[in-house]
Amino acid sequence: MKLINCPINGVRPVSEFVFGGELREMPDPDQCSDADWATYVHHRNGAPGLKKEWWYHAPSGTWFIAERNTMTEEIVRTYLFGQEEEK
Amino acid sequence: MQNTSIIQPSPITYGHIAEPSKIGSVHGMAVALKFGNGDEESKRRQLIGIADISCLSRFGVKGPNAVQWLRAHKVDLPEERNSWVATSSGAVVLRLGNSEFLIEDSPTSSLAPSLASDPPKMFGVYTVRRSDASLVLSGSRVQELLAEVCTLDLSEKALGKNAVVMTQVAGISATVLRQSLNGETVYRLWCDGTYGTYMWHTLVEIAEELGGGAVGLSSYFKELA
Repeated sequence: MKLINCPINGVRPVSEFVFGGELREMPDPDQCSDADWATYVHHRNGAPGLKKEWWYHAPSGTWFIAERNTMTEEIVRTYLFGQEEEK
Repeated sequence: MQNTSIIQPSPITYGHIAEPSKIGSVHGMAVALKFGNGDEESKRRQLIGIADISCLSRFGVKGPNAVQWLRAHKVDLPEERNSWVATSSGAVVLRLGNSEFLIEDSPTSSLAPSLASDPPKMFGVYTVRRSDASLVLSGSRVQELLAEVCTLDLSEKALGKNAVVMTQVAGISATVLRQSLNGETVYRLWCDGTYGTYMWHTLVEIAEELGGGAVGLSSYFKELA
């Protein structure tokens, strides 16, 4: 069974979680170029490696960030959004 | 505003496998008070009893200032996240995560209606509408039932005395705690009311295979007999 450590609820089976997509920083639409904005809207980086992703613990309604190596399927760490430094 | 002349069905109403032998209205909701005769029911209950207690009043509140608002209303609060406390009147107060609370009354307490009558108006406190199906489970074989439907170990050794667990039971998001009710260890379970029929059906079917089954509300709360 694959396990994920929810920062609020602890270690749970992956069946309790929903993938929410890669954490991507949005450029300022008023300041960035059209090319940068188009890249943000349309392009995704599919190369395997260590990524920051949104995950959702469905039973408790907790959104959090997981740093996951998409090559090895290893979750390095998890934390609540904005609390990266505390972990 | 709630019209007290309307009797609502419980979220479990359409899930009953066997017809209850006694139905009563508690807090404006029609619920099963008894299944079969008393002897049959107490035999089932010794092995596994499952009762629908969705009729008990409940109130939900969340937000960064929810603690402050509840303290101002003199509600006893659990200090730790994912834990619960019982009030002196028998209501249970669950802390779900950091800043969300679920309060469920006993048949005789009235904490939830009193909080609902003075809804939060301050910044950072939000009322959460609760329409849960609420169940109570107990019996000598209840661990076997829970092991079949939940990946977490909910036995007394693993589940802390005041721990609240938000997990999946029979594939449905549910909140579970263990409580001593009238000297007996019972499990309380909440899930979304729309899944109530499914949850009830699934748990009662497994309980019947193990020799238990549905019991009425009055089997846990004698004051409603």
